[in-house]
Amino acid sequence: MNQQLAGFAPAPVATRMENHGHHMVKVAMQTGNDLYARVGSMVAYEGFVQYEPNPPAVRQVAREWMTGEGAPLMKCSGDGLLYLADYGADVVVINLAGDSLSVNGTNLLAFDASLQWGVERVKGMAKFAGQGLWNIKISGQGWVALTSRGTPIVVDCGRGEDETYVDPDALIAWSPNLKVKGKRSFKAGSLIGRGSGEAYQMGFSGEGIVVVQPSEDSTDRLRARG
Amino acid sequence: MAREFQRGHKAKISDLTAGTDLYVGVQISAPGLSFDISCFGLDASERLSDDRYFIFFNQPKSPEESIQLLGAQAGDTESFRVTLDRVPQQIQRLSFTATIDGAGQMSQVASGYIRIVAGGEEVARYAFSGAEFSTERAVMLGDFYLKDVWRFAAIGQGFDGGLEALLKNFGGEVAEEEPAPAPPQSAAAPSFAPPAQAAAPPAFGAPVAPAPAPAQPAAPAPAPAPAPAQHFAPPQGATPPPATPADPMHAAQTVVAPMNQPPGAAVPPPPQAPSPYGQPGAQQQPPFGQMPGQQQAPGQTAPPPPGYGQQPQAPMPPGYGQPQGVPMPAGYGQPQGGQFPGQGAPQGVPQGAPQSAAPQGAGVAAALQKYREAPTGQRWTQQNEKLIRVDLGVSEQPILARQGSMVLYQGKVEFSYKGAGFAGRVVGNATGQEMQLMRCSGRGQVFLAEEGTHLHPIELQGDAICVSAENVLAFDETLQHEVRRIEGHGIPGGALFVMQFQGTGTVIVKTHGVPVVLPVTPTTFADCHAVVAWSAAAQAIVSSQVRMRSNAYAGSTGESVNLQFRGAPGNFIVVQPYEV
Repeated sequence: MNQQLAGFAPAPVATRMENHGHHMVKVAMQTGNDLYARVGSMVAYEGFVQYEPNPPAVRQVAREWMTGEGAPLMKCSGDGLLYLADYGADVVVINLAGDSLSVNGTNLLAFDASLQWGVERVKGMAKFAGQGLWNIKISGQGWVALTSRGTPIVVDCGRGEDETYVDPDALIAWSPNLKVKGKRSFKAGSLIGRGSGEAYQMGFSGEGIVVVQPSEDSTDRLRARG
Repeated sequence: MAREFQRGHKAKISDLTAGTDLYVGVQISAPGLSFDISCFGLDASERLSDDRYFIFFNQPKSPEESIQLLGAQAGDTESFRVTLDRVPQQIQRLSFTATIDGAGQMSQVASGYIRIVAGGEEVARYAFSGAEFSTERAVMLGDFYLKDVWRFAAIGQGFDGGLEALLKNFGGEVAEEEPAPAPPQSAAAPSFAPPAQAAAPPAFGAPVAPAPAPAQPAAPAPAPAPAPAQHFAPPQGATPPPATPADPMHAAQTVVAPMNQPPGAAVPPPPQAPSPYGQPGAQQQPPFGQMPGQQQAPGQTAPPPPGYGQQPQAPMPPGYGQPQGVPMPAGYGQPQGGQFPGQGAPQGVPQGAPQSAAPQGAGVAAALQKYREAPTGQRWTQQNEKLIRVDLGVSEQPILARQGSMVLYQGKVEFSYKGAGFAGRVVGNATGQEMQLMRCSGRGQVFLAEEGTHLHPIELQGDAICVSAENVLAFDETLQHEVRRIEGHGIPGGALFVMQFQGTGTVIVKTHGVPVVLPVTPTTFADCHAVVAWSAAAQAIVSSQVRMRSNAYAGSTGESVNLQFRGAPGNFIVVQPYEV
């Protein structure tokens, strides 16, 4: 029995964050190098890791994000190995190394507490405020883990003069230097997009990338679980 | 185990084999035609900036011998040895091409493939047939290209203009004024061009005789050594490589050969042709071979018979014999591993592989590198198993897609509601099984995906397929489609709606999970909730026999209805592991 399962043993730790398979991330925790993770995303841990839901620091930054039940982040600290997952979604691990990235709130799994981050509302997309279309801008030196329902795709935005339009439900992340605008369905009667029949796209222009998942299911499973 | 590639598939070489010393075999055969197979070493901007990296019969190796032409062997019409780690830095792409020598067009091609052999084992194969082409005279078969690491892409893109067009495409010059017998080393392109015209006619006379053989051995023509810059036709087959130190490789190929033979033979015409067309099938080539004049005409009609012969009402076979490996499986088996290297590996192990890729470079770009958009100039490109990109710009033909399936688009694309003319019919009798379509037109790229379902592009070439309406994601507007109802007791809503597509174009079918493709036998049944598609020649009947059985289930509500399929051999059905 052990033999068959042996292949799934964790690989030796090489970096702060690593994929274990496609759907799980393994974080090497150290004292003094804390991590913010989505509440409910922890699936296992080894060692001495402590969790503090809704920490004051987050409350400060994410005041806007909160919709009464507190920010969906917990602070993890301690020493050990921490495994995070989000209901089988693909996990993408990024070493920012000075870059910056805007991430859709529901697609953010975890990030180093040492990073600079802030919650911002997508301009012109006030409509989405209630639906959790908050994005979190992260930059600095450290690691970020994103989730994606299905293998994501990265599209260069700056190609050609044409803008790139994305279904907000499928959007994961984008370069913060892109210009963002909301766009209503273009032709009367054309119902693109999902949900209530409201058709919106987000238009991006400028130099940068947009990351999109092959699913328009942006349900926040971690939060839905309560 | 050789991985079967489909047009547009890509993979890292390192996922195929650990070695960099590769043998590339190309087999292509058509009755009465001969082919020139060459390799273009292109720079980062996909230009042939250095003539010395145009490897063809007249220039059988690159200066540092990282690319060598080996000639026909082991069942391949032409073969190359490529040592990737010796390819100089400025060469970023190796494009393998086949051009028709003389008159003819690609649709006459009976079958062909490009394969990669490493360490005596075939690791990749991209098979194609003439049915995928029309009047093209040249085709880009596959590319090795450098994107961080060397990768292989199955291209399968045709060019109408033949070799000249190819050369132009790669920025090579067809310098007419340059005398033909230029030093082959320095002016490969020029020396090539003139013969293209000059040699074409003679090409017929001579090689026809040997050409009939080409099917496998393909080495009929005695090959003058690579020196003479003139002769196009004869050398193509053989070109004995002066420097062929790849001895281990050779041994390898011969070993591989038997294993390669059966697929090659089994695929298209041979098995089918004999029965209905006993004679012509067997002797197709000789008759045509003699007379170049006729060659064209019969040639065109020739390819179909093998495939079509058997069942005129089932145009699928040609496509389908293979398709087992061709359009549909495309989606299934490979891509998992094919598109995204990380994907295919077993869960436990992968940390090693994909991991090492990620942390390598820091920064967002590096981490996301493997999810980059796949660039190809094709109309439908599968990005990964759940995402499809349509390039409307390629042919300016609109597509119809399920509403809400667009996840992203670039360019000036217009979306409009597809009127009730069609939708109304689908809506049927207020069954609630409504299918809302949108029409995407204009210029740009649209990315389609839905709910993380697996997507499978099915390319129709005049054949027909029935797809359960719920499983249609998008299709070319050029396809004829009609909605059929399959009625039966117990089907929710009273009927199952099926869309039948016919014509030339692509249908994107979505499935929940990895589907199974079953041949239609006298006893093929499928749950009407799980069946996704079937070849149109198969007939679906509501099966009462199985209905009884389903009633026998404990607690059965009697709502589950099975469909039985009837059809000639060669038909198939597709079933998903998910009941709607």
